[in-house]
Amino acid sequence: MNLTNGFAFTCPFKTNSGNKALEHLPVELAGLNAFKPLIITSRELAGPKAIGTLINAFGDSGMTIGVFDDVTETADLNVVEQIREIFLKGQYDVIIALGGGIIVDVAKILNLAVSLKVADARQLSPATAIRDPLGPFVVIPTAAATGMETSKYAVLSGKIFTSVHLMPGLVVLDPRLTRAKDGKTVAEAGFAAFGRTLEAYIAPDKNPFMDAYAFTALRFIRENLASAVNKRCNKKESLAVANAVAMSGCVISNTDQNMLHRLGQVFQNTVHVHPGIIIGMCLHPFLDDCMKKDSSRIASLLLPLAGDDKYAAMPEAGRAGDALRDLCEFSYEIYRSLKGKIPRTITEAGIQQYLMKDIFDIINQEPDGAYLRTVIDRVGGSSIKA
Amino acid sequence: MREIHAGGKPLKKAYVAIFLWFTGRAIQAAAKVDKEVQKEFAALPDDFTFALGCLPNGPWMVVGKEKGKVKYFGGNLKCRPVHLRLVIKSLDAAFLILSFQESTALATTRNRLMTDGEVPYALSVIRILDIVEVYLLPKLIASLAVKRYPSWWSFSRKLAGRVGVYTRTLLGF
Amino acid sequence: MILPDYYEFCCRVKIVAGHDALEKIPALLAEMGSKKPLIITDKGVAAAGLVDIVVNALKEGVTIGGVADNVPPDSDLKVVNQLAGLYRDNACDAIIAVGGGSVMDTAKGVNIVVSENATDLMAFSGAGALNRRLKTLVAVPTTAGTGSEVTLVAVIKDHEKHLKMAFTSYFLLPSVSILDSRMTMTMPPFITAMTGMDALSHAVEGYYCLQKNPLSDAHSLAAVNMIHQYLPSVTKNPADKDGRLAMAVSACLAGISFSNSMVGIVHNLGHATGSVCGVPHGICMAILLPYGLEYNMHKRGETIAELLLPMAGEEVYRKTPKAERAEKVVSLIRQMNQDLNEITGGRHARYFSEVKDRDGKQMVPREILPEIAKAALLDGATIYNPEDQDYEENLLVLEAAWEGKPLDRNKIKKG
Repeated sequence: MNLTNGFAFTCPFKTNSGNKALEHLPVELAGLNAFKPLIITSRELAGPKAIGTLINAFGDSGMTIGVFDDVTETADLNVVEQIREIFLKGQYDVIIALGGGIIVDVAKILNLAVSLKVADARQLSPATAIRDPLGPFVVIPTAAATGMETSKYAVLSGKIFTSVHLMPGLVVLDPRLTRAKDGKTVAEAGFAAFGRTLEAYIAPDKNPFMDAYAFTALRFIRENLASAVNKRCNKKESLAVANAVAMSGCVISNTDQNMLHRLGQVFQNTVHVHPGIIIGMCLHPFLDDCMKKDSSRIASLLLPLAGDDKYAAMPEAGRAGDALRDLCEFSYEIYRSLKGKIPRTITEAGIQQYLMKDIFDIINQEPDGAYLRTVIDRVGGSSIKA
Repeated sequence: MREIHAGGKPLKKAYVAIFLWFTGRAIQAAAKVDKEVQKEFAALPDDFTFALGCLPNGPWMVVGKEKGKVKYFGGNLKCRPVHLRLVIKSLDAAFLILSFQESTALATTRNRLMTDGEVPYALSVIRILDIVEVYLLPKLIASLAVKRYPSWWSFSRKLAGRVGVYTRTLLGF
Repeated sequence: MILPDYYEFCCRVKIVAGHDALEKIPALLAEMGSKKPLIITDKGVAAAGLVDIVVNALKEGVTIGGVADNVPPDSDLKVVNQLAGLYRDNACDAIIAVGGGSVMDTAKGVNIVVSENATDLMAFSGAGALNRRLKTLVAVPTTAGTGSEVTLVAVIKDHEKHLKMAFTSYFLLPSVSILDSRMTMTMPPFITAMTGMDALSHAVEGYYCLQKNPLSDAHSLAAVNMIHQYLPSVTKNPADKDGRLAMAVSACLAGISFSNSMVGIVHNLGHATGSVCGVPHGICMAILLPYGLEYNMHKRGETIAELLLPMAGEEVYRKTPKAERAEKVVSLIRQMNQDLNEITGGRHARYFSEVKDRDGKQMVPREILPEIAKAALLDGATIYNPEDQDYEENLLVLEAAWEGKPLDRNKIKKG
C-alpha cells in the first residue's frame, strides 16, 4: 500500500453484533442521552415479526416507543414531512430505522430534517448544507439490507443526498433479524456488498483503514454467502453476511472507486432491479478488464478469498489466475443453488428495451460512460438495446 | 403510527432475582468456609460493599462487610453505600450469564458486564465470584463459568467446601 | 475469520494521514465549525520544534487561541483545570493536542471540563457519565506507539488527593487524528524502537485477547505487517519519511485494535512494572510481549499462528510447519528485540535485568519482582487475558523476563 500521497478515512458508526444485541438498546440509547425512540420501519418490507422482536427487546425498560411502520417502496419527502411532524409532536429524541433500503433512506432524511430543525422536510435537497453531526440515529438492518444503510448516501425519489453525517451512529446486527426468508434476498445483499468492497480492495489508492473493513467483508462473504443462501436456518452465516454488508457501507463511503456501485444504482433507480443483481453480473467483465490492466491487484484478492494457506502456497505468478477461478466458483455456486431466481444477464432480468434507453442516457452522462457501456454490453445489454 | 409502552419480562426477572439471592447467600457462606475468599475479603476496606445486578431496573444483589463479617444485604441497592457495582447491561444478558450460557469473563469481554468502581475491587470480587461458582456448580458447568477450573484444588477442599457452602446458603447462617 | 457470538466495535475518529496532513487542519476545523483552537502540548515536544511546525501549518484561516506547553509527564488534575481556564479566557472553540499519551489524556480531561462546564472533573468518571458530544479535539500524536489518538480512555491524576481517575467514553474519542510524518522524524532511535514495540504489543495482544473481533483482527493484522516491516529500518534510518509515516499509521491501526479488543497479561505485568519501578511503558511492552504469547500459547496457539503470514510473509509461512507457526511468531518478536538492541547500541533492553536508568543503575532489581507480581493482581488488563493469572504465575513470567529465558510453559496451571 502506498501511503505517500496521504489519505483520510472515517467510519462514524459503532457496530453491535450478535446474540441479544437488541436487548442492549435501552442502555445504548441512555448513553446517547436518548430515552424516547421513534422506530421507522415497514410492516410490508421488514415484517411484523421483526418489529415485534425489536419492541420486545425494550421489555422491562419502562420506555415509551413510537412505531411508524408504514414506509413503502415509493416513499418520498412528503412521507418524511409526515414523520417529522410525528417526531416533533411526540417529543422523540432518537430515530431507529429497522430494515433496509428505502426505510433507512427515509430515516436518514428524517434525521436531517429534525436535526437541522427545518420548517418543512420538503425543502430539503441534495444541495442542503450539512455541516454538523446530526442527532442520534440507530440502524438495525434486516436481511433485506442493501449495504447502503450504513453508507453516507441516502436516495429519495431519485435525489442522492451525500454526507458522512447521514451515516448512523450505531448499527445493531441481531441474528434474529438478519436471517432471510429466502436465499435470493441474501444473495442480492451479498453480491452488492461483495462487488462494492472488492472494487475498493483492488483500487490502487486504498488506505489501510478502509482496507481493514474491505478485507473482513470480503472474507466473510466468501466464507459464508453460499451457505447463508443454501441453509437459511443457519443464523451464524447470515449474521456474518449481514456484518459484511454493514461494513461495505463504510467501505463505499471511503472510496471513489465505485464503478460497480454506480452501475447498480442506475439500474435500481431506473428499473428497480436490486443493485446486487447488476453488480453480480458485471463482476466478471469488470475483473477481466482489471486483469488486463494490472494483474497484481487481482492477485491480492487471493488472500481474502482463499485464505492464508492457499495464498501462501501459490507462487506469485499464479495468484491472479487463482483468484479469478475462485471468484467464478464462488458466484457459480450461488447462481446454481438459486436455480435461476437471480438473473445472470440483462436479458434474463427482462428489462424492457425502452427502459434500457433511459439507462444508457444516464450512463452516458457519467465521465467514464463509454467504458460503463462496454460493461453493460458484455452482460447482455447490447442484445436488447434499441 | 402507534405508541407502545415497553412491557415487562416477569419470568426472566424472577429467575435472575432468585439466582442473585442464592449467589448472595452463597458468598456469605463461602466467606466462612473458604480461606481464599476470606483472604480476598480481608484485603478489602472495612465497610466494603458491592452490588451485582442488571440495568435498567434490577434486580440487584448487595453483599458487603459489616463488623468484620461478610453479609448478604438483600436486593435493595439503596440499603447502604456501594463501593462497586457490577452492572449487567440487560435482563437478557443477565439470564445468559446466570444460566451459564456465558462465563463472567466472556460476558465482560462481550461488553455485557460493566464495572462501576475501582478496578482492584472489581478484580477481587470477580475472583470471589469464581470461587463461589466452583463450589456451587458441578465441574461440567463451572468450567463454562470460569476461565479455568481449579483442578489443582485438593479433593477435601472441594468436598468440604461444597458441603459447607451449600448448607450455609440454604440455611442462611 | 471468526465471528464471535457477540461483539462491539467502534472507532469514530476521522483519520487524516500524510506527509503534509497538518496542513489539512484548518479545513478540518472549518468543516466542524471551529475557528480558534487551543494548542496543548508539553515542553519536550515544544523544544523539539514540533509545535512550530504545527503552528506554521495553521497559518491560513485559523486564529490560535494559545499554546500551552506545560503538560507534565504524568497527567495532573491541576493542569487540566488551569488549561480549561485558559481555554475559556481566550474564548477557544477547539483543542489541538500535540504530543504523546499524557498530552492526549490531559487534552481529553480539558475537553470534559470545558464541554460540560464542570467544576469537578470527578463527577464525570464512571460508566455513562458522559452522554453527549464534547468540543472538537484534534489529536496530533508525536510518538508512533501509544495509539491514544484513537482511544476512548483518559487517565487523570489528582496528586493532592493521591487519586487516579479513569474516564472511559466514546465521547472522549478525538474528532480527528492527524498522522504526519514530520511529527516523528526527530524521535531518537531508542525511543522509536520502544514506542514501535508498544504499538506491536497493542496489535498482538489485541489479536489474542478475549474481546477480539473481526474488525479489531483486521486492524491488528495490518499493523503487525507494517510494524515488522518498518520498525527496524526506521530505527536504523530515522530520516526515512515513508517509514515514519508507515509507523504512525500502524501505531494508529494497533490503537484502534486494542481499544476495541483490549489487552492482557503483557499490559497487566507491564503496568505493574511501570508503577513499581518506573520503567518506561514501551520497554516493558517490548520485553514482556514474547512472554505474553508463550503464557497464552496453550489456549491461543492457532490464533497466534495466524500472525505469522502478515509478519514474515509467504516464504517463511510456507516453510514453517503448521504446528510450529505460533512459536515462530514468538521467536520473530524476540529477534526484533535483538535487532533493535543492536541498532540502538544496546539502549533497547531485551530483558528486565538489562533496563538501566540515566545513571546506569539497574531499574528492576531481581528482589523487587515479587512486589511487581503482587501489584499486577490489581490491574484490570488481566480480565481480558485468555488464561487466568495468579501471583505465582505472575512471578514465573517476570523471572523469565528478567533473565531473558523462554517461559517454562509446563509451570502454568491448566484448568
